[in-house]
Amino acid sequence: MKFLHLILRSLLRSRRRTLLTILSLGVSVFLVATLQSILGTLDGFAHNPDSASRIAVRHKTSLANFLPLRDGDWIRAQPEVAAVMPMQWFGGVYQDQRNFFANFAVDPEPLARIFKEEIVAYSEPQFRDFVRDRTGCVVGQGLADKFGWKVGTVVPLQGTIFPFSPRLTIRGIFKGKRSSDEMVLYFQYKHLEESVSWMQGRVGAFWVRARAADDVPRLIERIDHHYRDDLEPTLSETENAFQLEFLKMLGDYATMIQTITAAVLVAILIVTASTMAMTIRERTTEVAVFRAMGFTGRQMLGLLLAEGVLLAALGGLLGIGLAVLAAGALRGTIGVSIPWLNDFQVQRATLLFCFQATLATGLLSTFIPAYQAVRRPIVEGLRAL
Amino acid sequence: MPPIITCRAIAKSYFRGSLEVPVLQGLDLEIPQGGYYALMGPSGSGKTTLLNLIAGIDRPTGGSLEVCGHALNDLDDDDLAAWRAQHVGFIFQNYNLVPVLNAYENVELPLLLGSLGRRQRRERVMEVLGMVNLLDRLHNYPRQLSGGQEQRVAIARAIAGDPDLLVADEPTGALDAANAEEVMALLERLNQDLGKTILLVTHDPKAAHHARVQIHLEKGVLDRTVERNAP
Repeated sequence: MKFLHLILRSLLRSRRRTLLTILSLGVSVFLVATLQSILGTLDGFAHNPDSASRIAVRHKTSLANFLPLRDGDWIRAQPEVAAVMPMQWFGGVYQDQRNFFANFAVDPEPLARIFKEEIVAYSEPQFRDFVRDRTGCVVGQGLADKFGWKVGTVVPLQGTIFPFSPRLTIRGIFKGKRSSDEMVLYFQYKHLEESVSWMQGRVGAFWVRARAADDVPRLIERIDHHYRDDLEPTLSETENAFQLEFLKMLGDYATMIQTITAAVLVAILIVTASTMAMTIRERTTEVAVFRAMGFTGRQMLGLLLAEGVLLAALGGLLGIGLAVLAAGALRGTIGVSIPWLNDFQVQRATLLFCFQATLATGLLSTFIPAYQAVRRPIVEGLRAL
Repeated sequence: MPPIITCRAIAKSYFRGSLEVPVLQGLDLEIPQGGYYALMGPSGSGKTTLLNLIAGIDRPTGGSLEVCGHALNDLDDDDLAAWRAQHVGFIFQNYNLVPVLNAYENVELPLLLGSLGRRQRRERVMEVLGMVNLLDRLHNYPRQLSGGQEQRVAIARAIAGDPDLLVADEPTGALDAANAEEVMALLERLNQDLGKTILLVTHDPKAAHHARVQIHLEKGVLDRTVERNAP
């Protein structure tokens, strides 16, 4: 501790350089923390333990092809099945394109059972009203709060995929486990089916809840085997795999993010190494004076490394702080348009990774110039004016 | 007085590529405890090299050195550093104060290596800054001090750890005549009042005149020794 003031004073030797280095480290760490958190958030969607018992059944050819609604009856009859729900992405727009939120046409009856992990609190009477009202809908609390909706509010949706623009009356508001679970609207599938002639008897996908997660592989195989030779063959997959398909539309985002992360880490290393090399080179004589006074090589190395690590840590903390602040802003802006980012937050593992990476950067970037400085003979250092 | 410094056949060579450049060639020297010696000689005569060897910041290529009761040849780098911290105070031509530390903190620096507590360190720093008459400059940074004041802070730093031996390499080389005289008088007081052994390298005959013995080197060997008559 008695050397701390020495380290701090040395760090502030060139305030502008130190400040610029901390800023550049901060921006880089912010970038890494944000990118890693995006990756973590997206991965969370594709590796959601809550959806372990759910299967998405769709047309084998593509999502644009529909399945017969009657397929649901056969699937429902399987012993491993707890619930089946036709589910159709509607893609309706409320007032303006910027008001994007997820909206689905579903069978209202099994909705709360299918998504029991996500719809964590709701009113039974409200959901019964939803079942009874063909033009009714239920919305998440987050969505209701965003637009100031209440039970009874009429929500006009402009159809973008289907030639149909329903006016839906909110019959219930539920609370979700995560923010993204609350940014969604469900309305009656029958309403869509009755309003769009070519959707009669057809649906984009079935959402199936198995009685147990262990039943899922067997059920997937059985469903696809049953419809293998049908005119509309199915492709069944876990909900996680289904989500992953969507994420793949973003490209190989994981590789992209990891590549950028690696590039940024190398850039941080170079920036810090350059600063520390400059700082230590300027103090060649000073290092020699310290050693002449009796500081050992190890003590000098320790002081210089501590300085480098402290510099990196300050930059790292700044970047982490910025990332945490930005996460909230991102959730409220881009997160509204991209459902996967609605739960965006800087995960603890990411914070730890970023902090460790900056400390390692401080150590690595300082070690070589510091080692060279303390290895230099004292008399040589004293002459280096 | 028993010798505090004993050099036996000290040799030191530097290498420029494969070329060996001998600087000191088998030099014998004894300096008694409490002595005040000036090393003189033309550039390249080996006086700074000898000073560095005696101060333990360089190692001889031949011969043996015993300083303050320790055979320096036998000490490894860490032991030599600990030995320097305990026995040697350095005074440099360019003062070499740490620019980001104030006068107080510069003087405290060598004390950080010891086991003194904060309050004891403070007492010691105040004591030595009092000796060099700089108690009114405690919080001044080197850039806020004159050359003479800087060198006095450097002297305070050198004596803070109460070393037996003070080595000074051209301590007045960067000072005007008045400040140089003041610094030399201060060194003389440290020698006479505190009994510090002082070994200084200088080109300046006036500075050398303060020493009780002048050792003249020539091409790496002892040329002559001149003792100052008692005042």
